[in-house]
Amino acid sequence: MMIDPKDCTKEDKELVALSLKDSQFFYCLMKRYEEKLINYVGHFTYLPTEDIADIVQESFIKAYQNLNDCDCNLKFSSWLYRIVHNQSVNFIKKHKLSLKININENDDEFMAWLVADTNIEKETITKYFNEDIKTILEKLKPDYKEVLVLKFFEDKDYQEISDILQKPMGTVATLLSRAKIQFKKIYEKTNKN
Amino acid sequence: MKKQIKISDKALKLINQNQIKPIPKWEFVVKNWGLWLGSIISLLILIIGIGITWFGLVDNIIVPYIWIFITVIFSFLSYLFFEKTKKAYHYKKWQIIIFIIIIGIIIGGILFKTGIANSIDKELENKSTYYRQIVPIKVQTWSNPDSGYLSGTITEIIDDNNFKIQDFNGKTWTINSQDTVIKGRIKIENGQEIKLIGTKKDDSNFTVEEVRPWGGQNQNKMKEN
Repeated sequence: MMIDPKDCTKEDKELVALSLKDSQFFYCLMKRYEEKLINYVGHFTYLPTEDIADIVQESFIKAYQNLNDCDCNLKFSSWLYRIVHNQSVNFIKKHKLSLKININENDDEFMAWLVADTNIEKETITKYFNEDIKTILEKLKPDYKEVLVLKFFEDKDYQEISDILQKPMGTVATLLSRAKIQFKKIYEKTNKN
Repeated sequence: MKKQIKISDKALKLINQNQIKPIPKWEFVVKNWGLWLGSIISLLILIIGIGITWFGLVDNIIVPYIWIFITVIFSFLSYLFFEKTKKAYHYKKWQIIIFIIIIGIIIGGILFKTGIANSIDKELENKSTYYRQIVPIKVQTWSNPDSGYLSGTITEIIDDNNFKIQDFNGKTWTINSQDTVIKGRIKIENGQEIKLIGTKKDDSNFTVEEVRPWGGQNQNKMKEN
């Protein structure tokens, strides 16, 4: 059955309910999130395009199979991101890779966060971003990288990050704060040397 | 960013080709309820464990190791089951652990104070032949006059300072109760089941220093109420 393109404009929850009856409606959800999820996986894995595509595709199939387990009290997007996140982490573990953080110096919000309370000039960060700063960010603990990507590149709020990473909201805030402390420590240590 | 791939088309094709269907809702419901049930049942056993351990430590003298072991095991199980539920991630691990411990101590304490822990212990003794082999036997603990522990039923009041009891082995003892501390709301009268701490004088005489109700200090309160 072909669905009316207008149906694809329905809200996530409605499309989830319809998808349980007809997989064509799930196609609308997949189209809606495909690009966002590709970017998300790209931001914290640095994997080749083919691997990212595999992860997202597997996640879609898994999401469809588990559609009845979708918690309607949460945002559908958080639930879907959770599946993609798990799938990505499993992929990385399976291939013995490490989490990366794909960041550039043009992200104003991230740069503002990085500069605040670290006593590092924005100009310094911009100037040395591709050399020192990126290397320091790579050295952050995986937990910190995950939160940074969701906060600054996916624009998720604390509640959504909490739902995606399945951590209490307080822990999400703590992880962000600790990421900054660790960044500052590594930066200072690097500068001393 | 990365090159756009028609992932949605491929995924839908795979779903249709392989006739992939959503897993029925009831399977998730059963799983979720199972986790909650496991957590609650483990918590209940943990509470009973704390209640009986408490009762054992206060009234039994012997440390009920098996109940301590059961309490520890079911604390872990209760935590593990709860941790797998959908709501668990809203709480920090230490919050869940503290919650389980506090609930265990409060309700376990209530079970002990109201005598329910004692009743459960007795019920288990009645229902299982092996229970008393595993859990220290109260009668044996309190049937050791050489060590200063005696128990039984009051059979005769001789005067204000002396009465007779028949211990649980059927032997009659004359009890001297001068300067005795009576713990719990208990009356020295015929038919009362009591336990005594004191000194054995000879084969049939025992000087008591402390008298306690047989079923724990609180069971008597329950009987009176």
